[in-house]
Amino acid sequence: MQPAARSYEAVNELVSRPLLKPEELNWKFWWIAFMASLAATALMLVCILWLFTKGVGLWGVNTTIVWGFAIANYVWWIGIGNAGTLISAMLLLMRQHWRASINRFAEAMTIFAAGIAGLFPILHLGRPLYFYWLAPYPNTMALWPQWRSALVWDFWAILSYILFSILFWYAGLIPDLACMRDRARTRGARFWFGVFALGWRGSAHHWQIYHVYHTTMACLGVPLVVTLHSVVGMDFAASLMPGWSETIYPPYFVVGAMYSGFTMVIALAAAVRWGFSLEALITVDHFEVMAKILLAASIIMSLSYMTEWFGAWYSGAHEERSLVAYEFEGHYRALYYAMLFCNCFLPQIFWFKAARRSIAVVVVVGLMINIGMWIERINIVWMTLSHGYAVSMWRIFHPTYWDYLLMFSSLGLFALLYLLLCRIAPIVSMHETRRLLSQGAQQ
Amino acid sequence: MTFAPDRRDALKLLAMGATAALGACGRPEEEIVPYVEMPEGVTPGVPMQFATALPLSGYARGVLVTSYEGRPTRIEGNPRHPASLGACDIFAQAELMSLYTPDRAKAVAHEGGISSWVGFETALLSQMEIEKARQGSKLTILTGRVTSPTLARQIQALLNAIPAAQWRRYEPVHDDAEISGASMAFGRPLLAMPRLDQASIIVTLDADPLGPGPYQLAYANALGKRRLARKDAAQFARLYAIESCLTLTGANSDERLSLPPHLIRAVIIDIANRLGANLTQETLPENAQRFATAVFEDLRANPAHGVVLIGRGQPAEAHALGHWINRALGAPVDYFPPVDPIASAHVDSLRGLVQDIDNGRVESLFIIGCNPAYAAPGELAVGEAIAKVPFSVYHGLDDDETAALCNWRLPLSHMLESWSDLRAVNGVASIVQPLIRPLYDTRTAHQLVALMGGTLSASPYQLVRETWQSRAPGGSDASWRQWLHDGIINGTANAPVTPPNPTLPNIGPLEAPRGLSLAFAPDPSIWDGSFANNAWLQECPKPTTKEVWGNSIHISPSDAAANHLVAGDFVTVTLGEHSLEAPVDLVQGQASGVLGVTLGYGRRRVGAIGEGLGFDAYRLMPIETSWAAQDVELSRAAAQSPILRTQRSFHLAPERKDVYPTFTLVNLLKGEIDIPESPALPSLLPGWEYESYKWAMSIDNTLCIGCNACLIACQSENNVPVVGPVEVSMGREMHWLRIDAYYDDKPTPLGFQPVPCMHCETAPCEPVCPVEASVHDSEGLNVQVYNRCIGTRFCQSNCPYKVRRFNFFGYATDEAYANLDAQSFNALFNPDVTVRSRGVMEKCTYCVQRISRTRRAAEKEKRRITEGEVVTACQSACPTRAITFGDLNSEDSKVRDLRNEPQHYEMLGHLDTRPRTTYLANVKNPNAALQGNKS
Repeated sequence: MQPAARSYEAVNELVSRPLLKPEELNWKFWWIAFMASLAATALMLVCILWLFTKGVGLWGVNTTIVWGFAIANYVWWIGIGNAGTLISAMLLLMRQHWRASINRFAEAMTIFAAGIAGLFPILHLGRPLYFYWLAPYPNTMALWPQWRSALVWDFWAILSYILFSILFWYAGLIPDLACMRDRARTRGARFWFGVFALGWRGSAHHWQIYHVYHTTMACLGVPLVVTLHSVVGMDFAASLMPGWSETIYPPYFVVGAMYSGFTMVIALAAAVRWGFSLEALITVDHFEVMAKILLAASIIMSLSYMTEWFGAWYSGAHEERSLVAYEFEGHYRALYYAMLFCNCFLPQIFWFKAARRSIAVVVVVGLMINIGMWIERINIVWMTLSHGYAVSMWRIFHPTYWDYLLMFSSLGLFALLYLLLCRIAPIVSMHETRRLLSQGAQQ
Repeated sequence: MTFAPDRRDALKLLAMGATAALGACGRPEEEIVPYVEMPEGVTPGVPMQFATALPLSGYARGVLVTSYEGRPTRIEGNPRHPASLGACDIFAQAELMSLYTPDRAKAVAHEGGISSWVGFETALLSQMEIEKARQGSKLTILTGRVTSPTLARQIQALLNAIPAAQWRRYEPVHDDAEISGASMAFGRPLLAMPRLDQASIIVTLDADPLGPGPYQLAYANALGKRRLARKDAAQFARLYAIESCLTLTGANSDERLSLPPHLIRAVIIDIANRLGANLTQETLPENAQRFATAVFEDLRANPAHGVVLIGRGQPAEAHALGHWINRALGAPVDYFPPVDPIASAHVDSLRGLVQDIDNGRVESLFIIGCNPAYAAPGELAVGEAIAKVPFSVYHGLDDDETAALCNWRLPLSHMLESWSDLRAVNGVASIVQPLIRPLYDTRTAHQLVALMGGTLSASPYQLVRETWQSRAPGGSDASWRQWLHDGIINGTANAPVTPPNPTLPNIGPLEAPRGLSLAFAPDPSIWDGSFANNAWLQECPKPTTKEVWGNSIHISPSDAAANHLVAGDFVTVTLGEHSLEAPVDLVQGQASGVLGVTLGYGRRRVGAIGEGLGFDAYRLMPIETSWAAQDVELSRAAAQSPILRTQRSFHLAPERKDVYPTFTLVNLLKGEIDIPESPALPSLLPGWEYESYKWAMSIDNTLCIGCNACLIACQSENNVPVVGPVEVSMGREMHWLRIDAYYDDKPTPLGFQPVPCMHCETAPCEPVCPVEASVHDSEGLNVQVYNRCIGTRFCQSNCPYKVRRFNFFGYATDEAYANLDAQSFNALFNPDVTVRSRGVMEKCTYCVQRISRTRRAAEKEKRRITEGEVVTACQSACPTRAITFGDLNSEDSKVRDLRNEPQHYEMLGHLDTRPRTTYLANVKNPNAALQGNKS
């Protein structure tokens, strides 16, 4: 799978143009998107300020369903954050070089999504000002966190993952920053790109260190990706509630994360491709490959759902079976069917090559899957808590508009960060694309 | 005019304020005597308990009030008092909130403006001059039921001075039918009190002895003695309930039949005829016939140990027939002469007042401690009548509907601020001693009546002492102190009288009503409406429907289906010219053709908490047959709103025996019971070791009658906040202890189950807390460290029992509902328990503050805590003693013995949580002859 741009200089020119020669592009849509996402981010700030002023009672959480949108959003964002590194690291190790065109913004997506995800557990706290008590820091109370709690594992998983993602992303950016420094026409651009390029000269020694470092980080990254979402799965699995206490949760969550993350990559790829006229770098072939991955993931997800149903039946436990019945017949059944439609049924369209090669179809189905995956996360939280062991405490979650506002406005923050990134860093990895070209030439 | 004090004035004002503040709150001036400790030994921070009594519908229930340095914070039952026996109902416990509510009437008001006691005294003295001149012929005093010998003596003295004056009394929850039924049967008014502890077969016919009321505690206690399912259970009573609305008695019965009132009357006649009454009788429906036969066979098989109870919804003749049946059965019933000094019927008394006013025979009206403008049948139009009286005086606790209609509105002292005396149903008298000086410029009824007699500065203390002077040998202080200490005056109980043989009343079958009937009952949470402004009680779930913050029209599912109604649909109920619009609630145990409503809601003027909730059923209440109305019309109204409940799911699948197993007595005695298993699953971790104490609780589901006493006790003891209706609708009520009601496919509940924290040995909440706010202590308590909690709520999401409660808002602090953050409510808090802030999780602690207090005392004496020394709040309130608490490490502990009972089980024990709170399964004693009876 080769980029359509056939020369190194064409690649460099295509990628660096938005940064170095912005006057050549039409920024109208960027500004519209920027203003909209800025407004949404302001709204998110208002939501957070009001939340801190009034308390989590603003949301629809209640005594039975003590977890709500915040946890679902957290799992969803973390899932999206998983895919970037997965694409970069796992595909790098597996020598899927076509990834070169998409890995840069996928990695950026990881950092932004993981950062936003990390906000939600803090916002979700009753007393968010004490979130740092999760960290083992020396204190006058002589207290440490409770190591048996999945939330502490989670804290470490998110923290290490975010740190890793930043380092990995930044390392991959260095040769490109040097390239930008060299091509920059203004003093300011030269200075700042130069500072962040850390003195990269492109010597063979530099390249050797770079490849050792980058591959080693990728080797670290793959297990991190798996552990991160496994640990998120353990937040639920390390409990004793029906529908949560299942050994399938960690792998099921990892696949789910990859699934929803890939759909976000697809959406971003389509946006970047269109926005910066990168048709020459991000080709239809890329979309087809990613559609295949979605198809595979949807089959694994469907199998996971079926395993859950089978497990509930096979356990013979009344409350497990009752929960599955509740999923299909209970108060949230419309959401459950919507989830099955989006995650299991709809992606089967990718059995057809025409669908895989239609960017519109891939993007729309991808977005539907992403919605389906959010519904899956909220279903995981709601169903079990609404229909647990204590029959008298069975209740329904009624989301408030604060729930919705915070959820949607967090998308605005994500978009804002992304739009800003487009203006300050090369959105496609130039050096890796060039390498891909050279490999193509060798073949 | 501006107020600009100079420096000197400012300092003077400051000094004055400081002085006033010092004297503002404190113990009463006169000596009051503590129950357990001498006043000389007052140690700051160590509470004292004082015995006193609180009225419900005028009758006393003895209580012990815990007081911290002159601030009452907790009300519990007085074990020596016959109407309490150590337990305490929800109303008595919640009196604290009524005491501290900022909505109380605080100052004298005249017409539109504020006035003073001096202003009132001036006006009163001149009015009394006029009245004295005409022998009081145009003066009427209206009270509730007065059982206070002192007040009765004072009013009598006043009436002696102005003999033409009238004393009328009206109690909204009255017993006119009972009293006139007894008069009909025995030729004199008598109050029948069945000795339930001596009965083997109890048949309630529309009666609700276990329901709320002044005798609830005594009846529940007596019945509890006859429903102890233990290994050596010798006698276990059988409770039959035939009723039209699901009452607490019906919910706890072994066999229950829902029938409309006219058929209940037919069943009474049927039973009487089988005993040889030979009355005209109609043919009963098949199921009622079967039921009546089974009841009768059981009564016949247990001579002298069967008793029938007739409810207030039945007319006087039915009560008379009930007395006749009980005599024929040789039933264990005590008859007492009424304590009430007024003999006429309540309704007649009130109707007489309205007629007097209409005929211009009332120019001075004194309404003391009752609210007839609201709490009286709407048809009487009492409010309109009161408004016509030229000199009307209202002396009450709240600024309520009646107050609004009177010229003079006087603030009444709360019973916890007053010297007085009260009598229980059987006549036992108690001295009411004040726990606190009046918070506001209030006076007692004794002072008002004395004022009417011309005594300006009467001391209620002296008045009460005078009343009882004759009983004290030589007027000694010693006996006075003894009475205060004990909470009862020895030897004041009325001896039961032996009435003559009852005459058979002339009673026949009633024609079946053409339309729907309407049955009225006092509300299980706010009684007759006098507790409407009490937030604890408003948020106290009604036992069978768990509704809070309002009332609804109870309708049977079949009637609802016929009218295409679902719960929450509004209907218009019309009776004659009156109608009201209210939501319906579908109640399984409701008889077809009967709508059930409770009184006390729809308050128009009472305060920030109680106004505008629910609908006012008094408006439809008929004058003659107060508790039942016939031929009401029902039509669908447009509105719809969900019924607010604290429990949404009532149906328990038959597979869920791990939550609430039930057994029959026969199976229990034969040992044929299938207890849900609690396997000890393997673990890598070592178990906990307990060297000192090992606390545990055992709750007997058979004994629990679902009365909510424990729930309010817990709320009061542990500073549990009230969240208000909006938060309840969000599902965020805070009660640490909830009472679950479960149903299977039958209309009668399976039973009730109080659920506090289980204090699991392998608590699911402990390992999931990331900051170790949920920890296990050395005595086996699962404790919550509020300061450490950051509010992840993982503990509650992993709690299979869902007993933890989260402060989504600052319910107790900055975001209280309505006026619950008022300064005066701060006095309500138990100083031994932290008031939790926003964002922290809380839950039942097994009253750890009580354990600590006891441990401190024991350690000072270098001994172990003995059995029964620690009593949790819920345990102390329970009238049937269903809750047992103790130390599993102690050889003689009762809670340890209970774990060896055959029906002992752990809720959700299969999860291997190893709960410390365990249960004794509900045991019912159904009649084999009624198997398969679909009532």
